[in-house]
Amino acid sequence: MSRRAVPKANPAARSAQGAPMSSASAADSALRRGLRRPRTVIGLGIVAVCVLLGLLAPVLSAHSPLDQSFGALQSLSLTHPLGTDELGRDLLARVLYGIRVDVVVAVVAIPLGALVGCTLGMLSANNRWYGTLLQRSFDLMLAFTALIMGMLIAALIGSGTPAVILTVALVNVPLFGRITRSAVMTQLSRDYAVAAEVLGVSRSRLMLRHILPNSVDALIVQAALSFSMAVFIEGAMSFVGIGVRPPDPSLGATLKASINFLGQTPAYSIAPMVVVTLLVLGFTLISDGLNQALLKR
Amino acid sequence: MQAAAPQPVLQVQGLTTRFHTGHGTVHAVEDVSFEVRRGETLGLVGESGSGKSVTAMSLLNLVREPGRIEAGSILFGGRDILTLSNKELRGIRGNGLSMVFQDPMSSLNPIMRIGDQITEAIHGKGRTSAAQARERAVKLMKLVGIPDPALRLADYPHRFSGGMRQRVMIAMALANEPDVIIADEPTTALDVTVQAQILDVLADINRQLGTAIILITHNLGVVARSCDRVAVMYAGRIVEQARTTELFADPRHPYTQALLAATPRLLASRAHALMPIEGQPPNLTDTIPGCAFAPRCQFAHVACAQQPPTTQLGERRFACWKTAGGEPLPPLTRRSGQSLATAADSRDGSGATHALPIPASPAKLLEVRDLVVRFAVPSGSLNPFAAGRQLRAVDGVSFTLGHGETVGLVGESGCGKSSLGKALMGINPVAAGQVVFDGRDVTHLRGEQRQWVRRQLQMVFQDPMSALNPRMTVGDALAEPLIVHGLCKDAAQVRARVGELMQLVGLDRAAATRYPHEFSGGQRQRVVIARGLAVDPKLLVCDEAVAALDVSLQAQVINLLKDLQARLGLSMLFIGHDLASVRYVSDRILVMYLGQVVEEGPAETLTLQPQHPYTVSLLSAVPEPDPTIEATRQRVMLSGDLPSPIDPPSGCRFRTRCPVGPAYREGRERCITEPPALKPVGGSAGSKAACHFAGELTLAGATSSRAIPLLQPQDLTPI
Repeated sequence: MSRRAVPKANPAARSAQGAPMSSASAADSALRRGLRRPRTVIGLGIVAVCVLLGLLAPVLSAHSPLDQSFGALQSLSLTHPLGTDELGRDLLARVLYGIRVDVVVAVVAIPLGALVGCTLGMLSANNRWYGTLLQRSFDLMLAFTALIMGMLIAALIGSGTPAVILTVALVNVPLFGRITRSAVMTQLSRDYAVAAEVLGVSRSRLMLRHILPNSVDALIVQAALSFSMAVFIEGAMSFVGIGVRPPDPSLGATLKASINFLGQTPAYSIAPMVVVTLLVLGFTLISDGLNQALLKR
Repeated sequence: MQAAAPQPVLQVQGLTTRFHTGHGTVHAVEDVSFEVRRGETLGLVGESGSGKSVTAMSLLNLVREPGRIEAGSILFGGRDILTLSNKELRGIRGNGLSMVFQDPMSSLNPIMRIGDQITEAIHGKGRTSAAQARERAVKLMKLVGIPDPALRLADYPHRFSGGMRQRVMIAMALANEPDVIIADEPTTALDVTVQAQILDVLADINRQLGTAIILITHNLGVVARSCDRVAVMYAGRIVEQARTTELFADPRHPYTQALLAATPRLLASRAHALMPIEGQPPNLTDTIPGCAFAPRCQFAHVACAQQPPTTQLGERRFACWKTAGGEPLPPLTRRSGQSLATAADSRDGSGATHALPIPASPAKLLEVRDLVVRFAVPSGSLNPFAAGRQLRAVDGVSFTLGHGETVGLVGESGCGKSSLGKALMGINPVAAGQVVFDGRDVTHLRGEQRQWVRRQLQMVFQDPMSALNPRMTVGDALAEPLIVHGLCKDAAQVRARVGELMQLVGLDRAAATRYPHEFSGGQRQRVVIARGLAVDPKLLVCDEAVAALDVSLQAQVINLLKDLQARLGLSMLFIGHDLASVRYVSDRILVMYLGQVVEEGPAETLTLQPQHPYTVSLLSAVPEPDPTIEATRQRVMLSGDLPSPIDPPSGCRFRTRCPVGPAYREGRERCITEPPALKPVGGSAGSKAACHFAGELTLAGATSSRAIPLLQPQDLTPI
């Protein structure tokens, strides 16, 4: 009650405190506030450090990730700060270059999945038949876990980075589709959408000029969450051997190989494990922070 | 007089509550002092953001983060509530002080039986057996006028109507015989006929049990009807408190005076123009060194830069430099040339052009014939083959609207008035009937053909915040119709026209680059009106256009609409639930009940000599902001609630609640079997009513009748 009464006096405080409104600059400031939340900052920091490490891989590591040496399964040393793997390849280099693969997968696959998902979601919000059809196909897609989907795709187009990208994109389609649909439906029921209709605004203009800009908040949150999922899926697919093809370095594949040598060189598994965990954690924290700032107003 | 006054049960001294937000400190309640005496009803009145609800929450020490009560004392039963421990507070909440909230739906637990919720309120406090608690719950429900209480104990909240739910809330508040009930806008979410019932319940409790009531409201009519004393709040402070009669007759604070002048009245002449309060309420994050009302005050002078002293005059108190000496306020004068709206007022005030109906040309602009709007309602049955039912939101409505005429459409929620408006706009599909606009049948026009109608017919919405795209600047919003309909040749022309539109509604051209949230509620509504006018329509449909606005802004928008109509020769369909404001704008009024028009007539005739019993009840339920009129007024009380429009009563739809219908009079079987037709009645031309016994019930001759007799006080024995 008090939350409702007070902000009325103060339009600026109102957007901050939970009235059902959002507006361009109010939303921008909400986004900015979201980005300034402690958990978002920590998440962003973790992700930034990881990505930077990946980008600086040639500088940070003296070795190529593919160079084999005779010292297989070495423990930590000055020449090989994280030791070497069973083929004598430098683990630091493999982990750092592995991050690059994850970043590429996420950056290519998520916009792809989001684009397809949003388009289908908008279609399904506008037409009952499309709506039913698409929502049921989304259900079907969601019924497959990412890994099963990955296996299916690997079986169809062969394992490798493209398969990982396609899997991540496909897994994201129903997620973005559903979120877009529900956001669009909510916005369509608001008076400004009715007003636009009364003014004679065409359906496509209504969607692109009015509805979509107001539905973006939920999509941003989902995107951050999808990034953590992309890292996770890459890891999982490479782990079971249908992801990034050897000898290319990848976090999942390195982790998989390390399992066989847990008893001999425990240090082998630690680096890829930590990096995967940090990336997933980082993106989840960002998504969580943005969620609180943008959606739970 | 002073000595005879009973002891105060609750005494508030210097209460100050602030909210520490990221945007600065909001001074929600500043130095508020008042007391409530046993058996008294105190009105706490103010516009939104005036701090009245925060005051209520502070009384129970329920202010949440980031709010803090920073100073003051609240003495209840000799103890200061603000110094009590949580445990002691729980003992007082509900027992000594209890609260009734605005929204009875969200205040009741939807998955708990009503009986359990009431007994829980009893159980929690003392040792009572289940049977005793049940018995007491039945008594409480009887006391607040819930029919068949013993049977209804087992029902869930969704089985109760809004009014009945509010009765349940009051019963729960009464469960432990509190000394004070704080009712925070208890009738705001309810229809006016139900509001009258709830106010009666509160008055009965007050009279019979001697419970003191703090009634928080924005509605001056409610205050005039129910309160012994009033405290008026503005910008977090009480600016004036006095006995209700004194305050209305002789306000000593300019804000009180201005508020009274801005409130539409039902019984005053229509020539009596509304006087809006110019400007906006202050931003409470700023510290205001002087009188917060000074920027909007007609009598402001140099001294007002300092906080005015509180003057005590007998029982009344007020904080104003102008009246500090004890003299009354001079009458308000109309300011001229401030905005278009006020310019229109001065014209209204000088020549009584209002009394004369705007000469409507005989040619019909809009003709609606037997319009039906239907919605499919899910059957609610688990059987997938069960037939869905149909809700006839509008069921055979016919009317005409002339060039330059304003027709008001009134009715309670669920009567179909908004559905009708949306059907005219082509938003709701028309199931049957015809809409003829300017001689052309536009009922089923679609696509490109519809665009023509859209240029003739535009709409103003209830909630301007929701009606504007939050991510579009106001300029873009105004430009959109111009672009969509290709009304301007190039960008420069669009810009020029947008500026013109902004000026037309009294906004600054330069504000076009701002976003809706940067405007106040009243200004936003001006933008919505400007957008509607962008295509130069002939008819403007205003759907509850002023319902979401505060009284002072309401008057601004009403005056703007009247002014625009006069200048542009617009016709208007003004849809609303508030008869007083609808009457003020309209030339003719249609009254709707359950999807049908029950009465139609010239605004003046319809409000002074209503013919249909429903119109009579509706008019009599509207509280007039004048305590002397309220005290002598005879009232027709409607019992019960609106029947379901899915399954309307046979014959006359109003018969189940009609005070002269078959439920109350012998030999009225005709009302059950034969639906009455809308036919000419009364002496004046153009008056029509759909009633077999039109004119039988009148405003003056009606006697107050209560369907459910209340229990005597001795029935409520303490447990």
